[in-house]
Amino acid sequence: MIIAFGFFPVLLFLLCLFLLDSFKLVSVRWLVACLAWGIVSAMLAYVVNTAFVAYTGVGYDALTRYVAPVSEEIIKVLFLFFLVARRQIGFMIDAAIYGFAIGTGFALAENSWYYLQLGADFNVVLAIVRGFGTAIMHGGVVAICAIILMEGVQRSNAAFTGAVVGVLAAIVLHSAFNHFVFNPLLMTMIILVTLPAVFYVVFFYATKHLQNWLEVEFSNEVDMLRMIRMGQFRDTKAGHYLATLKEHFRSEVLVDMYCFFSLYLELSIKAKRNLLLKESGFPVIMEPDIKDKLREWKTLRRQIGKSGEMALWPLVRMNHRELWELNQLNA
Amino acid sequence: MIVNKEKLNEHLVLHIEGRLDTTQSDGFEKEITEILDQGHDKVILDCTGLNYISSSGLRIFLIIQKKMMASGGQFKVCNLQPAIKEIFDMSGFSMIFNIFPDLDAALKA
Repeated sequence: MIIAFGFFPVLLFLLCLFLLDSFKLVSVRWLVACLAWGIVSAMLAYVVNTAFVAYTGVGYDALTRYVAPVSEEIIKVLFLFFLVARRQIGFMIDAAIYGFAIGTGFALAENSWYYLQLGADFNVVLAIVRGFGTAIMHGGVVAICAIILMEGVQRSNAAFTGAVVGVLAAIVLHSAFNHFVFNPLLMTMIILVTLPAVFYVVFFYATKHLQNWLEVEFSNEVDMLRMIRMGQFRDTKAGHYLATLKEHFRSEVLVDMYCFFSLYLELSIKAKRNLLLKESGFPVIMEPDIKDKLREWKTLRRQIGKSGEMALWPLVRMNHRELWELNQLNA
Repeated sequence: MIVNKEKLNEHLVLHIEGRLDTTQSDGFEKEITEILDQGHDKVILDCTGLNYISSSGLRIFLIIQKKMMASGGQFKVCNLQPAIKEIFDMSGFSMIFNIFPDLDAALKA
């Protein structure tokens, strides 16, 4: 029963975050992978910390306050970087949930270890502090790192800064917690009050941002695709712009750029439709030809090359979110 | 956004007029929810006067469809203007909704 205090709060917190994801951005498969990585990272961190103590002879206080926060947070966030690189994270909401899941896995492994080590000494107070405090701190700091990372990724050329600031924030918060400036029970209370408030604010604004993005982009893309299909594209500003590229690109490349753009619009509209369907609780639609179209779009992207893609920037920028969105059609 | 109600046979016909975008969607959703909560099992949305729809508007169509499906009712959409119908076709929402060319066809189906 006591062990339940060490495990369930953090799992319950994760479940609440998962349920708050109204657009169902999080994939259960990757969520489980995050939990698993959290467990693996706890084991790796144990090995690293033990080796560090053996080589340097550092004391327990220095280990928990300065060494462990650095090693543990760096190992934990590696999987976040992997998910961002694979375009599996699109917004702060899914980033925060995946981040919290990694921390949850870590906390479950760590609390199990404590339980096995301490046996009968794993009392109720310790279980409450570790379950409500430390475990939720582990999830919270990775989630905060993920939120900062995504803020950087969503701004052009700020991904690296976002990653550095995010990891530093996670380390500082973890280290501050381990300093136990206040009574552990008070620290636990502070975490239980502040973290849900932080998540609520982030989720609220991120959901608004997502809705605004859908609203603006969906309408623009539909209008543009309609013009293309009606043969009126050349009369639009975008059409005029594409015409000016004739002087710089061979005609076959120009045709590929036009196809790349129109196919992107078509796929992007379908990806946004699926987001709307998921939000309303409907199953997503995967047209039978969608994979072929995605393959075709990728081929066109290769054929027009970096210079073609950059020339199309005034019409469409293949930033992280655009690529994430198309990636959703590949799931 | 104007919504006019009409009872035709066993159908509740909602004639909507105007733009269905972010600014209008909250009010429209509230109005529609109140109407649906009265327990109608056959609802037709007559879109003759609908001249613009964005993702916020489509979301409300999905909400109505979901509510009607949950209560075992029918939800039909008719008289979509060509430009609006094209949005449904291009995005694939035509596969989700029962769309009819006019009110008669919707009533008979």
